[in-house]
Amino acid sequence: MAFPFVRLCPRHVSTGLQVCSYATLSKASRPQEKSSAGPVFQYVGQNKKPTPKVFVWGFSFTGALGIPSFVVPDSGRKKPRKYQLTPYRLETAEQISSAACGYGFSLIASSTKDASKLWGMGLNKDSQLGFQRTQHSRHQSYDYVLEPSPVALPLVNPLQTRVLQVACGRAHSLVLTDREGVFSMGNNSYGQCGRRIVEDELMHLLFFSQVACGQDHSLFLTETGKVLACGWGADGQTGLGHHNISSSPVEVGGDLSGVEVQQISTYGDCSLAVSRDGQLFGWGNSEYRQLASVTEATQINSPRHLPLKGCGKVVQAACGGTQVAVLNDKGEVFVWGYGILGKGPNLSESSTPEVIPSTLFGRSQFNPSVAVTRIRCGLSHFAAVTDRGELFVWGKNVRGCLGIGKRDDQYFPWRVTVPGQVVDVACGVDHMVAMAKSLL
Amino acid sequence: MATPAVRMFRRLEGLFCVYKPSGVHWKLVRDSIETNLLKVLNATPSQPLPQEVRFLAQPSTETEAPKGLTLSATSVPVLSKHPLVSGPEFQNIQVGVGHRLDAFSSGVLVLGVGNGNKTLNDLYRTRVTRDYTLEGEFGTATDDFTHTGGVVERSTYEHITQDKLERVLAMLEGANQKALLMYSNVDMRSQEAYEMAVQGLLGPEGKSAPILTGLRCIHFQPPNFILEVQCLNETQKYLRKVVHEIGLELRSTAVCKGIRRTRDGLFTLQDALTRHHWTAADITQAIRQYHSSKKHRKRSQSPAKKPALKTSEDVTATQQNEANEEAATRWFFFVLFIWLDHTFLGDAPHIRPILFI
Repeated sequence: MAFPFVRLCPRHVSTGLQVCSYATLSKASRPQEKSSAGPVFQYVGQNKKPTPKVFVWGFSFTGALGIPSFVVPDSGRKKPRKYQLTPYRLETAEQISSAACGYGFSLIASSTKDASKLWGMGLNKDSQLGFQRTQHSRHQSYDYVLEPSPVALPLVNPLQTRVLQVACGRAHSLVLTDREGVFSMGNNSYGQCGRRIVEDELMHLLFFSQVACGQDHSLFLTETGKVLACGWGADGQTGLGHHNISSSPVEVGGDLSGVEVQQISTYGDCSLAVSRDGQLFGWGNSEYRQLASVTEATQINSPRHLPLKGCGKVVQAACGGTQVAVLNDKGEVFVWGYGILGKGPNLSESSTPEVIPSTLFGRSQFNPSVAVTRIRCGLSHFAAVTDRGELFVWGKNVRGCLGIGKRDDQYFPWRVTVPGQVVDVACGVDHMVAMAKSLL
Repeated sequence: MATPAVRMFRRLEGLFCVYKPSGVHWKLVRDSIETNLLKVLNATPSQPLPQEVRFLAQPSTETEAPKGLTLSATSVPVLSKHPLVSGPEFQNIQVGVGHRLDAFSSGVLVLGVGNGNKTLNDLYRTRVTRDYTLEGEFGTATDDFTHTGGVVERSTYEHITQDKLERVLAMLEGANQKALLMYSNVDMRSQEAYEMAVQGLLGPEGKSAPILTGLRCIHFQPPNFILEVQCLNETQKYLRKVVHEIGLELRSTAVCKGIRRTRDGLFTLQDALTRHHWTAADITQAIRQYHSSKKHRKRSQSPAKKPALKTSEDVTATQQNEANEEAATRWFFFVLFIWLDHTFLGDAPHIRPILFI
């Protein structure tokens, strides 16, 4: 923290004599002499960089917010805080570069080479946060972790590897590192954890660029643009052409074979992939008309190309439980599916993409070029980050997860007041984690 | 029978705007304009005095006149109507002031004469924004936020770049846009709230906290900078406080060197009369221009717009006094507001600034 210090520098005397021929000079408009006496304070220097911050809000009783005093108050007079309805600062040891929210738990990771680079908080009944040794017994793990606790990864070179990205599903989580592949933790009853994937165990050296967790399945994206999937497949969300469980990652085919994918997204039972040339592919659950542009069936078990009219080149996609959103290269957001889509209470389902007017994201006559840069989906809500660092949320306000200060549902994009510029946000079922940086 | 003075007064009824110089209380401006108008009104040539027939007693010249009173009819002027008896025709005229400007600021000040005061009332009640230019200077903080106040603190400002200033302004604009939504009385869960939010029609009705609907930096040369703001329900002291808060957000200090209102509703700096033109002739011309532009605007509004306006009028329900003129003038101001929206405001809701760490 920078302490202000006094710098005595000579200030030139400026004469501000006001001549007003209309009325007499009143006491208020006496000329002010800027004398060189008096200290000049310096609060920041020229090289000050913005401070990174993490904010959390939503339902706190699972410990997913990482603030133990919400669940177990410090003093007996205070009451536990069940819903944190506005962003609350989470103090972290390192700068957090990646965060993910699962169903009642969160993982935050820093891209440092230090020994502790991954922390988890929240529900741990399925060991989705790894083994958190209790104080009393070596062989027991905590069921609820109330504050960010380091997750020990069995790295070969713990001081050389960095964590690139984390993803959380219903009861499992995936950690992507830069040199040692992907680690998975948690519930493996449907094979969603696969096995620990190490490059040299597979035929080709596969470097992963992104991982995504659905409710009970996992998707992996390699640097060459191939998608692998494992886990529960009853809705076809693995995209492997069948509705069975897949216990180790298998490459996904269908319309995706030969296509270079740049981003994958899933959170419920529907999965989406965006190719490098801006096409959208989807598979999995379509009960809520997420994939209705290609099929009337309720499930697709193999990826199909989704022809979207009027969306332009798709840059990002985000998939929730019942709704889907895509972002095009112009910064416009398109939504469809079922639920609160963001165009008022009258639009509760749509099978074709509907654009959300950019005036709702802050476009005005003074700012004609505000564009959305990131779009994320929780189970039943959306979050969008604009290029000016503002966060907009809309959707069902499950236990205060929107962070707008009230528990009502929000039917069109609403600004969340975050002290700082938001860089990225992670959405869960009933809580959210936002990574921000201070203005200056 | 209207006297020439009354006819001239009728020509003077309406709204016009003047340029109020800084350092002057707004009341002095209003009083001097009223005095100027009164001088001219009372200088009109007075009507010839009416004559009345009175039966006056004639003094008898002859001594042998018969006893008794002889009255003869004479036409005499009515002395009670003489200007020296009754006083000037106009003792005072109703000159009303629109949104006030304090002594430190300068700029457009809207005044209304006679019947124009009713329109002024409506101007007050509808949601019309005002444009200001704020000149600020980094490095000092004073107790009344102006450069003439007592210095509280001095700080460095070399670290401030235009990019950082833009970031702070973006944050303030975001906070204000949110306030615009929060102060509107519409139920956020309704479809019409969404429709209004898309068009940028959400906003406070009547009194509310000051909200800046637009904010941008038009000149930056440390330590000086100039901001352009559009605001609702503001006071000039609040705008100076905004400059002070911008300095605090940038980890420095700032004072406001000047505030100039460049637009109040539809009256801009182009139409403002400067001090040497505060005469009845110029004011009459300004009012004539105002009336003709009002007619032109009413005619140019297409009938298809009327239903949309009607719904927005129902939604933003002001008190419904059912006088026809009132409705017509309110129409005018809603038309004005919608027109303003599309030309000046664009479409975005805005917020009350919140001081961030």
